[in-house]
Amino acid sequence: MNKKNLKHILSIMVDNEPGVLARVVGLFSGRGYNIESLSVSEVDSHKFLSRITVVTSGTKIIVDQIKAQLAKLIPVHNLVDITELKSFIGKELILIKLDVKNKKTFDLKKKLERLSAKILEENDLEIIVQFTGSPNEVKKMESILQPYKIIEQTRSGLVSMATGTDYIKK
Amino acid sequence: MKKITGAEIVIQTLIEEKVDVIFGYPGGAVLPIYDELFKQKKIRHILVRHEQAAVHAAEGYARSTGKVGVVLVTSGPGATNTVTGLADAMMDSVPLVCISGQVPTHMIGNDAFQEADIVGITRPCTKHNYLVKDVNILPNVIHSAFFIAKNGRPGPVLVDIPKDIQTFKAVYKGKKNTKVISYYKPNLKPNINQIDQFIKLLENSEKPIFYVGGGVINSGEVASKNLFKLIKSTGFPCTQTLMGLGAYPTSDNQCVGMLGMHGTYEANMSMYNCDLMICVGARFDDRITGKVSGFSPKSKKVHFDIDASSFNKSVNVDLTVQGDLARILQVINKKIEEKKTSFKKAKIKDWWIQINKWRSKDCLKFKNSDKIIKPQHALKRLDFLTKKYNPFITTEVGQHQMWAAQFLTFNKPKHWMTSGGLGTMGYGLPAAMGVQIAHPNSLVIDVAGEASILMNIQEMSTIKQFRLPVKIFILNNHYMGMVRQWQELLHGNRLSESYMDSLPDFVKLAESFGATGLRTEKPSEIDDLIKEMIKVKGPVICDVIVDPSENCFPMIPSGSTHNQMLLGPNDKVEGEISEDGMVLV
Ligand SMILES: Cc1cc2nc3c(=O)[nH]c(=O)nc-3n(C[C@H](O)[C@H](O)[C@H](O)COP(=O)(O)OP(=O)(O)OC[C@H]3O[C@@H](n4cnc5c(N)ncnc54)[C@H](O)[C@@H]3O)c2cc1C
Ligand SMILES: Cc1ncc(C[n+]2csc(CCOP(=O)(O)OP(=O)(O)O)c2C)c(N)n1
Ligand SMILES: [Mg+2]
Repeated sequence: MNKKNLKHILSIMVDNEPGVLARVVGLFSGRGYNIESLSVSEVDSHKFLSRITVVTSGTKIIVDQIKAQLAKLIPVHNLVDITELKSFIGKELILIKLDVKNKKTFDLKKKLERLSAKILEENDLEIIVQFTGSPNEVKKMESILQPYKIIEQTRSGLVSMATGTDYIKK
Repeated sequence: MKKITGAEIVIQTLIEEKVDVIFGYPGGAVLPIYDELFKQKKIRHILVRHEQAAVHAAEGYARSTGKVGVVLVTSGPGATNTVTGLADAMMDSVPLVCISGQVPTHMIGNDAFQEADIVGITRPCTKHNYLVKDVNILPNVIHSAFFIAKNGRPGPVLVDIPKDIQTFKAVYKGKKNTKVISYYKPNLKPNINQIDQFIKLLENSEKPIFYVGGGVINSGEVASKNLFKLIKSTGFPCTQTLMGLGAYPTSDNQCVGMLGMHGTYEANMSMYNCDLMICVGARFDDRITGKVSGFSPKSKKVHFDIDASSFNKSVNVDLTVQGDLARILQVINKKIEEKKTSFKKAKIKDWWIQINKWRSKDCLKFKNSDKIIKPQHALKRLDFLTKKYNPFITTEVGQHQMWAAQFLTFNKPKHWMTSGGLGTMGYGLPAAMGVQIAHPNSLVIDVAGEASILMNIQEMSTIKQFRLPVKIFILNNHYMGMVRQWQELLHGNRLSESYMDSLPDFVKLAESFGATGLRTEKPSEIDDLIKEMIKVKGPVICDVIVDPSENCFPMIPSGSTHNQMLLGPNDKVEGEISEDGMVLV
């Protein structure tokens, strides 16, 4: 039996109706499951469907239980454990505001360019960087920025999709 | 097509759902619906005296008929009063639709008078809930609510309807022309492959046991019939959970009684020592498993259930089959017939010899007395004297509930209503009202404790108004007996707040509601009291004064395993109860 705690990315197609997010989140908090990140937005405005991506972790038994409980929610149309698929992509968008007062930024900008990060705002006091990447790329980015003073940052949470033409069914 | 108001739509949709009775209590936010109720004759309204009781009554109605129970309450306090009932129905998989009034849509969120976010509050204790903000979808919502409540694993659904929506108008084209939610498709067909694997296990087992739960009752009479056939054709033993009592006749010789914390010695020993456990619609509750790591260590486990989330929740099983039990059991029986599988009694002969040895311990024996009424004796007499009426039994929660499970006979499904999962004191009396409404000519008995009965005693007034001949059989031990028992066993006999002081005179209480009150403390009078109770046409409260010190055995102390049962007052807990065990409920 698999007792290891593994990370799982769950992609959930739900009715975009009031309270649906509360149902999903309430299920996690009420049953003591872990949410590492969460992102949600409408993806089909005709059928009023939203796609929720939850990153969670647990033993196989726990994660199977989470999936079975989620699948039982009435507004949940479909649920895919992306991590169980052969190949998938997972990306996150982050915005970071750096304090650059009295600092040289030439080197920093070079490095950011190499990582294909975008500078959205730049003045004597601050730089706002936009970066999109996989969790590993995000980590790398963080280590590069370590020497700088981060004023604030915000992250979208992971969004994910499997490769191949077999898409998550509604 | 003619437009009608939201309130009219509520009544029309209920009629189309073949609802003939609803349990409710009016208030400002549901006045339009009550007005429509007044104007029609198809639906009977039972006015309860507390909204919690409305929900339990609807549960009793639903559990004894297999139909959906319906509740109607007002906003705010009316709605919040239903929460315990809804949580109870959720735990025990009872199909209900609860309609609540809400403040008008434009006032929602303003802390309006009698506003409560009941959809938010009941989200975790309903199977689903709705706040209806558009009168045009009201028909869809109500029909969907019924569909969801009764399909798949049953459960309660709440529909919150703001007052303005009740007065706005829309077209209702009838149920046939109303779309119910289409993507909610509970898996009903079992996987044949898995059934074949199961039959192999059946053929090879030498120490099998059927572990039967409430899912069989939920599935309906057909499931019980199919189960009976299967158990008879295999010759295997069968044990039932508290919720499963009656799914298989408990007086049959192949039944080894209830299992679990207060189950029989033979049932728990069979579960511990079996090599094949066949779980039929039960959910491996902690009251069954005891310490999970020591639960039936040597067996292969098979689990039949309609709800995938019941699989491997607390106990890992080797084979799962998802589907409706009536169907699963039918397919199994057919396969067995087709394959001409015959089960050789020789193979399980030693197993039965062993089981009968366990049985001969006679674990439910108790020392009777001619001075003081033993609660077990009172129930044995109740069973004996009422059996021929095929009574419906409800219970409150506590020792009396466990004794009722142990000492009464349940040979038919849907005749036993008890709060198992939530363990709600105050369930039994309103549940008995619901049962009596559904079965006006049957004998309905609430086996009660003197503490529990006081939790919904106001329902005596409902009983009076609707002339419900409910019989209340109080085993009065002057204690919250179950609490006292735990305090004795686990907390050094410090009886903190478990004595029931200042009890009412139950005979006078009965009389004040126009009911009959009977009371005895003499063992020699118990038969006459029961006979009188049956004879009286109307409602009766029996105040049976029993031994205040009696405890309920067998008992598996929390955190222990099936082979560590306490069989009687002289059995001591081996060593200290572990800290792990102490924290368990
Ligand atoms: C004081 C107290 C003491 C208790 N002691 C005991 C005890 O000693 N022994 C005991 O057994 N219980 C005891 N209980 C009750 C216990 O808490 C549980 O409620 C009970 O064991 C659960 O029964 P069950 O497993 O049959 O499940 P239920 O709660 O009845 O669940 C039914 C299962 O069947 C499934 N199901 C539903 N419909 C269908 C269908 N159509 N087809 C297929 N599957 C379906 C459901 O998904 C669910 O998994 C006690 C309760 C109290 C209050
Ligand atoms: C609403 C509620 N509150 C508290 C409890 C905890 N509890 C379980 S049994 C019990 C005592 C019940 O006493 P009584 O009705 O007299 O039954 P007895 O055990 O004496 O037969 C209590 C307080 C509960 N189950 N439900
Ligand atoms: Mg008592």
